[in-house]
Amino acid sequence: MSHLFSARAQMGTSLAFHIIFSVLGVGLPVLLCVAEGLALRYKDPHWMRLARQWSKAFAIVFAIGAVSGVIVEFEIALLWPSFARFIGGVAGLPFAMEGFAFFLEGIFLGLYLYGWNRLSPRAHWLCSFPLWISGGASAWFIMTANSWMNSPAGFTLKNGVITNVRPFAAIANPATPYETTHMILGCYVAVGFAVAAVYAFAWLRGQRTAYNRKGLLLGLAMASIAIPLQVVSGDPNARFLETSQPAKYAAMEGLLHSGRGQPLYILGIPDQKTGQVYLAIQIPHGESLLAHFNLNSYSKGLDQIPKADQPNAIVVHLTFDLMVFCGFFLLLAALLFWWFFLRGNRTLPDKRWLLWGLVACGPLGFLAIESGWMVTEEGRQPWVIYGIMRVSDAATPSPWVNVSFAIFSLVYVVLGATLVLLLLRLARNPLPERTWEEYFVTTPAPQAAISPDKMQEATE
Amino acid sequence: MILTGIVMALLWGCIIAYAVLGGADFGGGVWSLLASGPTAARQQRLIEHAIGPVWEANSVWLIYLVVGLLTAFPLVAYTLAVALFVPFTLALLGIVLRGAAFAFETHITGSVNLRQAWGHTFSTASTITPFLLGAGAAAVASGQIHYRNGAVQADRFTPWLMPFALVMGAVALSLCATLAAVYLTVEASHQKDHEMAEVFRLRALIAGAVTAGFGLLGLLLAPGEAPIIWHGLGHQALPVVIITMLLGLGTAFALYLRRYLLARGLVIAMTAGLLSAWGLAQMPYIVPPDLTLSNSASSPAMLGAFLGSAIVGMAFLLPSLWFLFRVFKGNQPTPAVRGRDLEES
Ligand code: HDD
Ligand code: HEM
Ligand code: HEM
Repeated sequence: MSHLFSARAQMGTSLAFHIIFSVLGVGLPVLLCVAEGLALRYKDPHWMRLARQWSKAFAIVFAIGAVSGVIVEFEIALLWPSFARFIGGVAGLPFAMEGFAFFLEGIFLGLYLYGWNRLSPRAHWLCSFPLWISGGASAWFIMTANSWMNSPAGFTLKNGVITNVRPFAAIANPATPYETTHMILGCYVAVGFAVAAVYAFAWLRGQRTAYNRKGLLLGLAMASIAIPLQVVSGDPNARFLETSQPAKYAAMEGLLHSGRGQPLYILGIPDQKTGQVYLAIQIPHGESLLAHFNLNSYSKGLDQIPKADQPNAIVVHLTFDLMVFCGFFLLLAALLFWWFFLRGNRTLPDKRWLLWGLVACGPLGFLAIESGWMVTEEGRQPWVIYGIMRVSDAATPSPWVNVSFAIFSLVYVVLGATLVLLLLRLARNPLPERTWEEYFVTTPAPQAAISPDKMQEATE
Repeated sequence: MILTGIVMALLWGCIIAYAVLGGADFGGGVWSLLASGPTAARQQRLIEHAIGPVWEANSVWLIYLVVGLLTAFPLVAYTLAVALFVPFTLALLGIVLRGAAFAFETHITGSVNLRQAWGHTFSTASTITPFLLGAGAAAVASGQIHYRNGAVQADRFTPWLMPFALVMGAVALSLCATLAAVYLTVEASHQKDHEMAEVFRLRALIAGAVTAGFGLLGLLLAPGEAPIIWHGLGHQALPVVIITMLLGLGTAFALYLRRYLLARGLVIAMTAGLLSAWGLAQMPYIVPPDLTLSNSASSPAMLGAFLGSAIVGMAFLLPSLWFLFRVFKGNQPTPAVRGRDLEES
């Protein structure tokens, strides 16, 4: 394995792992907040049980999110020191601000998870607000850093020397509004559908309880608000890329040649060597129409980009199509569900195909996130800072990157496997049903009198 | 220049906060590894209970330190990332395994083997990591990491594997253990568990003595292996060195008298003193002998923005942190409202 390849593979694996937990960290607190709020408002034990069950899962998920985040943070410096030095001096501010969002998230998470019995119900509920606000804020800040890599701004480069640094202009770079919106919405989409999928599956297995119904509806409600916005926000994002990162755009659309009246390629293999797109479904004039509302408008293809500056069109095109497919599938599933739900007097539709469709939406939301990221990151290649620094110039000179790649990959396998095991156990042994009063009866706590095995009982 | 100094002081404050808060979490892992005697299981339970609500927040100090260094002193971040690739990667591995293992260990129900496996991972990683971080710090202090003609020049191994570095690694490790043991005496006496308080009082005294021993050994090695630091310790940092030593003795005395709260305050002050002495001793270098405050700092615009964001951030952070520690670590921690859910409290 080449040195550079290992570094890229390690970075990509780490980020692809981390993003799963980040997304949950942004989305789940919103559901926690709403569920607990509904519980308190209606004195409803089901909502309370949902909130508590989710918070148990969140405890584990967040911990893995935090440690995988630490890996990524260090790797930026350890694997790409030249890049880190450049971005630090110009666009380091969002990383620093993100640090405070992490602090608040960590603090209120501790209060939320361990404070069920130490805070008053209302104070406890209020602790979920900083949780989702700082989750969204950390996503926003880190996205501005990524946007900056795609459309660097806020400095002047003269003979290789950085001058005139404007930290806030770096944060407000041209890609920021598009990427931040699209990403944060994506978190709500993916988490909403994932939660709905869990309860749809339970429903299919015959567990038709009020508890499962509420879980499904709340997850799907959040997802359904976000998914149309998500699809709608993807479109200006793509349009913006046509001018700001033409190579990425051409690769996404599979456009190997420039010209007028370009077709829309769905799937297919854009071969940069032969200049042909194989096996694609072609919609004549489709790209020109979608991009400029004009059947014969002109679009740039990869042929206008020097060979050395081209990304891998096959990867970028196919992952883009995958994301768009997921987006429309999710949108359709949500529409169909609410249609049948409202027609059926607010009973969960008893259609197995629809419920199985919802189950499929769980993984598809995350697949959309991962594939969207492949578009962004692979489409930027060979640049780490678009047009300014190449990936190959950013990599660490240290040997042993291969070794560290192997070790960290193993760590991800072990962490992932244990986590899945724990979450499955948690799902199989849900918290016991309780009445509303049981959640809040105040009994004096004879702490020392409770032996460890009794505690174990309380856990089951 | 004043701005650079303030930003550096802020980052140094983060090192101290990480040592005092995160370091104690590492130390908890060490004591979990060394738990022995008839009360071993209870010791581990107390440690788990103490770390649970706060470790996520505690570990953010390290993250903030990394991003702060990146933002305010990018050249330093670059130099250290290149020169100390190996120890930092290993420390990273330790940090990750430790955090994950702690979360897994506390949430695994049922399988005893799995729980034990992660428990061992937690304590082993807690032991190795502070050692590596201490050795890395000594490598920085040693003056063997050079940045010349636009390139980093350093041996990949000697700076962090020479005797001085190994001794400083041991200092870091035993300091973490001391901190944790002192905090646990407070924790135990809050729970009115005097037996546990005695257990950790003894451990705190032993760990403190070990720390002092290694510290003196480090001082003996310093003239040969870290001359810049040695010089600074004898000059501008001398008063702080003396105060630190007195604080160390004071901690031992407070423990002896079973004044646990006082001991906690003193050991925190001692840790802060130790790190401040180091910082002062190598002024104005960040990475001696080539990188100083002024030749490695970001542009003033960046430093200003960084400082501004830190002030705004602290305005949110400090009250929240105060609240967290009041709820879980306060003098009179808020009592559990309900007995039934003890596992969550
Ligand atoms: C639930 C997830 C999800 C869904 C359903 C979609 N996306 Fe997406 N997309 C993402 C999740 C995502 C993402 C993972 O969040 C990305 C990666 C980087 C970013 O900013 O958002 C992304 C990136 C991304 C980019 C590249 C941005 C860049 O590199 O600067 C474009 C052009 C689109 N998306 C367009 C779309 C379109 C036209 C969709 C229509 C169906 C769509 N996305 C659905
Ligand atoms: C969390 C979602 C993300 C995923 C799944 C992701 C994925 C990837 C992948 C697959 C690569 C390897 C690309 C290649 O070399 O072929 C990569 C590289 C990289 N990413 Fe991302 N990325 C994400 C977010 C980010 C963010 C938010 C940042 C910065 C703030 C970032 C910074 C980098 C850097 C510095 C590299 C190495 C240089 C390069 O290969 O371009 N990534 N990422
Ligand atoms: C777009 C991609 C990303 C998003 C949306 C995101 C978001 C988040 C969120 C919400 C958390 C909280 C932990 C959790 O809920 O699991 C988190 C943790 C973390 N992230 Fe990411 N992140 C992204 C990429 C990155 C990158 C590129 C870095 C490194 C530069 C990074 C560094 C961290 C760190 C250090 C933590 C741990 C914080 C803690 O200890 O609480 N993240 N991230």
